[in-house]
Amino acid sequence: MESTASLGINNMHVSFGGNHVLQGVDLTFTPGFNGLIGPNGAGKTTVFNVISGYVRSSQGDVRLHGKDLLRMSRTQRVKAGIGRTFQAPRLILDATVMENTLLGRHHLFRWGHFAELLLLPQQRREETEARQICMDMLDRFGLAHFAHEEAGALSLGSQKLVEVARALVSDPTVVLLDEPAAGLGADDVTVLLRGLRQIQAERNLCVIIIEHDLQLVTSLCPKISVLHFGEIISEGSPEHVTTDPAVIEAYLGHGFEAEEGGEIHEVEGPLSEHHHIDHVEEESTLEEVWTEDDGPEKGESS
Amino acid sequence: MSDQTLPSLYAPKSSLRKVVPEWVTTFAVFIFLALLPWMPILGWTDIFDSSNNFGRGNLAFVFAFAVAAVGFNLLVGYSGTLGLAVAGLFALGAYGTAVLSAPSGAREALAGYDWPFFLALPVVCVAAAIIGFIVGFPAARLKGFFLAIATLALGELIVTIIRLDEKVWDGLKTNGGTGKQVPQFRVPGLDRILSVYMLSLGALFITMVAYIVLTNRRLGRTLKAVRDIDIATGPLSIPSTYYKLLAFGISAFAAAFGGAMWAQNSSFANPSAFKTRLLVFLLVVLIVGGLSHKWGPLIGAIFFIYFRQIFQDTQKLLFLFFGLTLLLAVLILPHGIAAIPKRIADSRRGKQVQEWLAKQKWVERLQRRFKLLVGQ
Repeated sequence: MESTASLGINNMHVSFGGNHVLQGVDLTFTPGFNGLIGPNGAGKTTVFNVISGYVRSSQGDVRLHGKDLLRMSRTQRVKAGIGRTFQAPRLILDATVMENTLLGRHHLFRWGHFAELLLLPQQRREETEARQICMDMLDRFGLAHFAHEEAGALSLGSQKLVEVARALVSDPTVVLLDEPAAGLGADDVTVLLRGLRQIQAERNLCVIIIEHDLQLVTSLCPKISVLHFGEIISEGSPEHVTTDPAVIEAYLGHGFEAEEGGEIHEVEGPLSEHHHIDHVEEESTLEEVWTEDDGPEKGESS
Repeated sequence: MSDQTLPSLYAPKSSLRKVVPEWVTTFAVFIFLALLPWMPILGWTDIFDSSNNFGRGNLAFVFAFAVAAVGFNLLVGYSGTLGLAVAGLFALGAYGTAVLSAPSGAREALAGYDWPFFLALPVVCVAAAIIGFIVGFPAARLKGFFLAIATLALGELIVTIIRLDEKVWDGLKTNGGTGKQVPQFRVPGLDRILSVYMLSLGALFITMVAYIVLTNRRLGRTLKAVRDIDIATGPLSIPSTYYKLLAFGISAFAAAFGGAMWAQNSSFANPSAFKTRLLVFLLVVLIVGGLSHKWGPLIGAIFFIYFRQIFQDTQKLLFLFFGLTLLLAVLILPHGIAAIPKRIADSRRGKQVQEWLAKQKWVERLQRRFKLLVGQ
């Protein structure tokens, strides 16, 4: 069990003041797509922040291929093979897409800034190689032709794709994607999923995805973990998770029930008072996404 | 999508850049400046009339200020840290080279350690860089105003140390508040002013080339990341504190370098010359010239020296003028004078002209010929 796991989180506790955000979370992630879902405020991003070193945990440990991650600095963790994106894209807006992507590869450069200053041919070759790798990666996400545009001129969706590309060029073994599809158009989602699937298959990556779009997660991830108020309430295959009454209750409150295949239906008439208005919206987006099924496959065949 | 050929790995050049590459313009500007003393084409300005010593001296001041501003540009324009120790480090460069290269047996105003100039210069600049690096340690954790105040205090501290006289420490030899004579380094075969001119121009050439090479490559990108997306530098494996310190160090090196050149030119250094006023001057050079533009410091320094000479006799007006220009520059030209050509090129009419140029046969011919010439 331990040998196949890429990343293991054991008994993780995090609290901000009196707010216990994570309360004894145990998670193991294996190569492949892993979904991490849960309602807002469940602590999903906090899990990522602990892994990448933005938040200190009060208890518990994180192991990457058996190595203790919590002892490492943020930069060491990247060298150990953790790549991540942020919920809101963080790009240098007045630099080109290519330059932004190259940032992800800087720590793999062998030559220092002094070699750069002396214009050593080895250093220039290294730069060209890095650019080639970045260009290939951008091409997978359909961004090659924007490579020399300023990142600020791109749409939010494209900026998020650039960020995913930047996380992937750093040759990670575990990639943490924080809502990569939020704010993306249908075309962009298709491109994103195709690119991610290709790269995952080539490198046997462990991809961990936080996503609110359940359709996307269930179609992509063979294993899904559900966080709710800092605890794992369900874990397993998409069918298991989407039909788990605990999950449905956490997501939608009382009064909903799942059918075979994971489709969720409202059983009672109108929403009762204790249902938050968010749930209505969430349900409607769920329905919308359902209709544009098989997008990725269509894109591949053309 | 992926069947099509991928675009080039490096950013495509504009039609102008294809004809005249960046390094050619840079070298051309410096060759022009090196030949300027023998070309009396700036005679109409009086202040920059390169055929007499007055004009040459002013131009040498331009180069010295530009050297310091290039480093300041890297710090403020690229890493986005507003470190204001630059005036103090400028003083360190001026006094450091003066004291170290002065003859050891001379009287107080010209007493020193008798080092050769070309040993004293790198030692002082490296010492300034190390001071910048060390002071950066606490300062890099500060932000905005707090950083500005902390570094401003460092600058003042250096000037205060210079003000100390022999009673405090005999080895300091800065001659207290009365000032220090600076021994001149003479380039063989040139007279005093020409030698200073060439020395300052050489210093500017070195700093500019280093600046262009570094900012166009990995260091420039990394510093921009530290400036704009500091929070995301962790997952990019960029040690952001280290890069801030590096920027501090490089800018301190350049500030001391510029200070040394300034001292060579003015031949007398007085602590009161390095007050906060100097910092404001350098800010004028930087902001009016153009932040994070490679030619910004030189253009800003030309602007600054020109108007300093014009208001030579009315110092009060000088400050009023610079205060107003700083204000107007921030409002109207936030990217400085150096950004005006790009602004024109990006305008609608400018784009039309560019398209027209791209269609012309003679441009193409010129490009081909130029490529043959430089052997690409």
